[in-house]
Amino acid sequence: MSAKGIRGNPELRRGVGSKTTDSEKIMEDPPAGDWLALRSDQLLKWIDDAVYNASEATGMREVVDRVTRPIFNFAQRFSPHPLHFGIMCCAIEMGQASAPDHDIDRLGLVYRSSPRQCDVLIVNGPVCEKLRPKLKTLYEQMPEPKWVIAMGECAISGGPYWDSYSVVAGADTFMPVDVYIPGCPVRPEALMHGFLTLQKKIREKEPGMFLRRE
Amino acid sequence: MAEMWISMGPQHPMTHGLWTLKVKVDGETIVDADPELGYLHRSVEKMGERRKYFMNTTLTDRLCYASSTTWTHSYVLAVEELMEVEVPTRAQYIRTIMLELQRLASHLMWAGAYMPDLGHITGALYFWRDRELFLNLLELPSGSRLLYNFMRIGGVKRDLPDGFEEKTERILKLFEQRLDEYADLFENSKIFRMRTEDVGKFTGSQAMNMGITGPNLRGCGVKHDLRVEDTYEIYEEIDWDVCTREAGPGYSDCFSRYMIRIDEMKESVKIIRDCFKKMPKGPTMSARVPIRASGEAFRRTEDSRGEALMYLVGDGSDRPYRWKIKSPMFTTISACPHYLKGYKLADIPAIMGSIDICIGETDK
Amino acid sequence: MDFSDLHKQLKSMEGVSKVSHIRKNVIKLDLEKSVSKVFFTKLKDDFYFEHCSLITAIDNQPDFELVYHLSCLSGELSVDGTKMSAMVEVHIHLQRDSPSVDSVSDLWFGANWHEREAFDLMGIYFIGHPDLRRVLLPEGFAGHPLRKDYVYEIHEEEW
Repeated sequence: MSAKGIRGNPELRRGVGSKTTDSEKIMEDPPAGDWLALRSDQLLKWIDDAVYNASEATGMREVVDRVTRPIFNFAQRFSPHPLHFGIMCCAIEMGQASAPDHDIDRLGLVYRSSPRQCDVLIVNGPVCEKLRPKLKTLYEQMPEPKWVIAMGECAISGGPYWDSYSVVAGADTFMPVDVYIPGCPVRPEALMHGFLTLQKKIREKEPGMFLRRE
Repeated sequence: MAEMWISMGPQHPMTHGLWTLKVKVDGETIVDADPELGYLHRSVEKMGERRKYFMNTTLTDRLCYASSTTWTHSYVLAVEELMEVEVPTRAQYIRTIMLELQRLASHLMWAGAYMPDLGHITGALYFWRDRELFLNLLELPSGSRLLYNFMRIGGVKRDLPDGFEEKTERILKLFEQRLDEYADLFENSKIFRMRTEDVGKFTGSQAMNMGITGPNLRGCGVKHDLRVEDTYEIYEEIDWDVCTREAGPGYSDCFSRYMIRIDEMKESVKIIRDCFKKMPKGPTMSARVPIRASGEAFRRTEDSRGEALMYLVGDGSDRPYRWKIKSPMFTTISACPHYLKGYKLADIPAIMGSIDICIGETDK
Repeated sequence: MDFSDLHKQLKSMEGVSKVSHIRKNVIKLDLEKSVSKVFFTKLKDDFYFEHCSLITAIDNQPDFELVYHLSCLSGELSVDGTKMSAMVEVHIHLQRDSPSVDSVSDLWFGANWHEREAFDLMGIYFIGHPDLRRVLLPEGFAGHPLRKDYVYEIHEEEW
């Protein structure tokens, strides 16, 4: 049986109290082929599946989840790392929000310039046809879990550029958006409120989990 | 050593906006560069052809997010030239005050964005803090923080509110003290000068040929300012000087381009004070403004970044037939291979930051 | 050199017509397409127009029109003894089926991207341009959007 087969087996995913606690079934053979020819991604996948199934079957997963969920959630909620990425007018207000007068950093925000270090993408302007593939790449480069904030009218629906030949009608046409902040341009206070809304959303959805699977 | 291309942008801390700079490096030395624009092309010119003349001020406000009112003013001047509208004197004074406040805010924003490029985070916080003062001032008459829509065809939206002069005077006084503080912080800082001096040099004649105007040209010692040479509003009657700086005989470097902006801020303070002194009473809006126009007209204005030119062609209807925007940064960015060549890779933020890029107007 | 002398000299040049002052410091003239290179070279070398402010392409239906705004920044040209900066507005008319003209990007480097933009948005071809490709729109974009006959889809209703 392949690694995919284990994940697809409903009996193995039943969790605590299920009959399939047989360790031989859980610790399935590595993917086809001999050990020397095993690729690293296949090995990782095999280890991943094995650990998941073992923790699921023994009930360990639920216990660990219960313990770590509030901690992970707290950490994610209070330290969103937005990408330092400016498109148009709202980017100036994003910068002004970090200035001494508004000091948005007290919400735990740290702007990073690399998408690999970020978990919030702020789309703060109109997305043009030339920019769309690049923005999509930036979004895909960010590690999970990640959220998107559509800041300003342009990112919500195209805004003042609704009849342009090159502006996309809103960021949500090609990527999932979590929080919409209206305004043209968005004031720093509104951006702050947007981040508080995002924190609320994170707390309610509780995505912070140990060994998360879809 | 092997040469290779490095791509910086559109998401890069150096770019200050959406553009890509591809540089060809030989080791650490820049051999060639290829800037690429268009990530923010919103087709303002085409959209303007579908809107009426007075509606377009919302688009011109959003042309340059750092100095929106100067661009609206440039458009409004061109339309007034096309429609032959006379503007009341008080409206001209109010416009001048707003323009200079906007220039101060724009230069402060440039400085606030330039300092972190050089690793000077304190500088960024200081300049952003001072910019907030001027945003509050601009908010008083217009009711908006960033995009004012204050200039109207034939005048301004409304008169200045009560107590505006006292508030402005108080803030200008505070700002002047802080400018002296900045002299200690930056001009006398050895690290700042090492990063900026003798970097990104070009001469005045080169700059004119490459299409570089505004503070970047005045930083080469060329005494050229459209506020004097193609005068508009009431700059003729105001007591002020065109300031120039140069790093050496006829050329500029990053430090002279920094200093020219500091000097311009001091001049702007002078202009605002003099405007308040000489401002007459009267209406702020022209009595009759037509909505249709025909013929063609253009006006040049001195934007915070250089020469802004709006060219309008009307066909007798209430919408422009063709509207063309000249952005000073468009040509300045195009010339970047000339002034980047020969410097090190680590100098790119210092050089590209010093020319004050605003992509909103560049990509139109 | 004085600005009124320039007016006379420009009038006597070949291919130039309709020379007029539209403002105190601006001369407007029409130019034949065939002599454009010679004219612009003379304008730069002899008359101190060292800055190309703007190149505009207009779709006049059916013909195209190119408008060059050239200015003198160094103050060599004086306008009636004042400090005003002199400017020339040159109009060139082009046929719709062959919208091409000689490039001036070797005279003024600042004209380089203005020509690229005119090519990008209006589809004017500049002969002798070193790098004529799209500048604002992505590669592979179909059509030239600033032409009047360019049709694109707008989802909302016209007001």
